[in-house]
Amino acid sequence: MFGFWLKPNRPGLAALLGVLLSGCASQPPWPDSFNATTLNQVPFHPQEQYQCGPASLAMMLNAQDIEATPDELVDRVYLPQRKGALQVEMVAAARQYGMLVYPLEPELEHVLKEVRAGHPVLVLQNLRFGWWPQWHFAVVIGYDSAKGTLILHTGTQESNRQPASVFMATWDRSKRWARVILPPDQIPATAEPLTFLMAAHDLETTRQTGAAKSAYSAAAEAWPDQPAALLGLGNIAYQQGQWSEAEAYYREMTEKFPDINAGWNNLAEALSKQSLHKESD
Amino acid sequence: MQTIRSYTQSVSAIMTLVMILSSMWAIPASANIVGTGELLTEQRAEIDREALMGMLEREDVKTALANMGVGEQEVQDRIQSLTPAELADFKQQLAQAPAGEGVVGIIVLFLLVFIVTDMLCATNIFPFINCIR
Repeated sequence: MFGFWLKPNRPGLAALLGVLLSGCASQPPWPDSFNATTLNQVPFHPQEQYQCGPASLAMMLNAQDIEATPDELVDRVYLPQRKGALQVEMVAAARQYGMLVYPLEPELEHVLKEVRAGHPVLVLQNLRFGWWPQWHFAVVIGYDSAKGTLILHTGTQESNRQPASVFMATWDRSKRWARVILPPDQIPATAEPLTFLMAAHDLETTRQTGAAKSAYSAAAEAWPDQPAALLGLGNIAYQQGQWSEAEAYYREMTEKFPDINAGWNNLAEALSKQSLHKESD
Repeated sequence: MQTIRSYTQSVSAIMTLVMILSSMWAIPASANIVGTGELLTEQRAEIDREALMGMLEREDVKTALANMGVGEQEVQDRIQSLTPAELADFKQQLAQAPAGEGVVGIIVLFLLVFIVTDMLCATNIFPFINCIR
């Protein structure tokens, strides 16, 4: 009798269970207005043992038309004793190629925004637990909102689809470390002026002067209200002994931002250098 | 007194770290010009400071500080005199707090660290605190 009663209702029961149980499986909220994208132009390098760092970095650099192979990056970023690469070395190596490394806000939406803008995102994941970590670098190259998945070049898998819940769990454990690596004249889709300018300044301090200069120029154009962009351009010219060029930037800065002392101070320095120079001629 | 003594080590460790960080910021780009990094650090600190000031507006923070007997004006003065490194340190602690909880605790703890160091005469920020030495 029960069999008779159950049989025709089985689909109904399944549907009921489905509704009830789906409430238990927690899905991270997928941000609105993202459909599906895959950056097919990002080449894939399968990692060799433990070497996800060099492989991921090579993919990030290749995506910006820089010729770099995982093998040549191994020497720069791989630490044999630790069987891995450190974030700071990955970032430093990318800078040595004249690239600007921009740290993303720790939000899924920001990762998706960058991918939507055509920028692959380098992420750090912890594939195991906090107390027994297995750190892993991978490159986010796409997403599919219908399936709720992110598409990653990871390890030995090309275009691997990871459910957002899995991605978020592993990414959370790395405190959501994510970077985009772009030519310095391109501004990331999620860029904040100060963070971008700080990344540009990192280029300045690591002697990537040309790259720093184009990053500051891009920033000056994108955010005319940022004094540091002009100051950076002036300072680079000053350090290269281009006093009159430095003067022009500092002058522009004092005109636009008369309240900031740094501009006046550096303008005075540039002027005094010029007059010294003329006297010695 | 004993309790305070037991805190000194961790407090001094934090202070040492802050000092090291703040001295690192000061590396100038060139002898006389103001480096780009200095301006950026200053601007970032200004934003952080405003954010921290904004947090003082929260009722729960106000209550917690009032319960400790710390006046709002004193806290504001204290925030004004925080260095960029201290602000960055604070922001980091805040970011590492589990979501939803602990914000009040961190704000209060952060300000408390400086009150305790005042008591140990390491700093002299709060005039209402009498040095115990």
